[in-house]
Amino acid sequence: MSYQEKNITVSLVSHLFIMVYYLVNLFPIIQSGEWIAGRLYGLWAIVIGANILVTIIGSILTNILLTIVEAVQSKKYEDPHFITDERDNLIELKGIRVSYIIFSVGVLISIFAFIFGQPALMMISLIFVFSIIAQIVGDITRITLYRRGL
Amino acid sequence: MEKRQVRNNIRKLRFQNNEMTQEQLAEKVGVTRQTIIALEGGKYAPSLELAFRISLAFGLPLTEVFSYEAETESTNK
Repeated sequence: MSYQEKNITVSLVSHLFIMVYYLVNLFPIIQSGEWIAGRLYGLWAIVIGANILVTIIGSILTNILLTIVEAVQSKKYEDPHFITDERDNLIELKGIRVSYIIFSVGVLISIFAFIFGQPALMMISLIFVFSIIAQIVGDITRITLYRRGL
Repeated sequence: MEKRQVRNNIRKLRFQNNEMTQEQLAEKVGVTRQTIIALEGGKYAPSLELAFRISLAFGLPLTEVFSYEAETESTNK
């Protein structure tokens, strides 16, 4: 597994955990029908904060751990060459395109839900769900492209 | 319907050039070793610039390193 694949795997697993946490906390609200803004604001803040932590800290930790593991395995320290070349950029773009399509469809679904009488808070909650789904699907797409080729 | 594919002799040329490793070639042309692996495995078609850089690394014309061939698909339906 290359550095990029490991990074994406860490991101994918983290986003899956965030998704599970969000859905576990959202379903009781949906079932009860009590769309209390305060509860939802807290939940959204946690999801946004977790996403930022995953993006920044996850990436940094992966870099550090990979450097340590490679130094231990090769028994010498070399400056890590984490270069991003044209293939990485192309795969990144294709992943972003897939994420964008999923998120766009999700926003449309959320808007239609609002138009057909669902509360506005539900619309925003759905947007959050689809944003996480979009990231997960984008990560899966990138891993698949790395494994199978472009 | 004809399907075309960019093919290459990179692996063979590496061995002919003092058994150059994938890492060495990758460093020479400015890509990762994984990209060289993908190229050799036919899983990735390089950009024109990268194709030229690889050809220059071997000191050969582009057409001796890469080829663009048609693969005819079977039309048994």
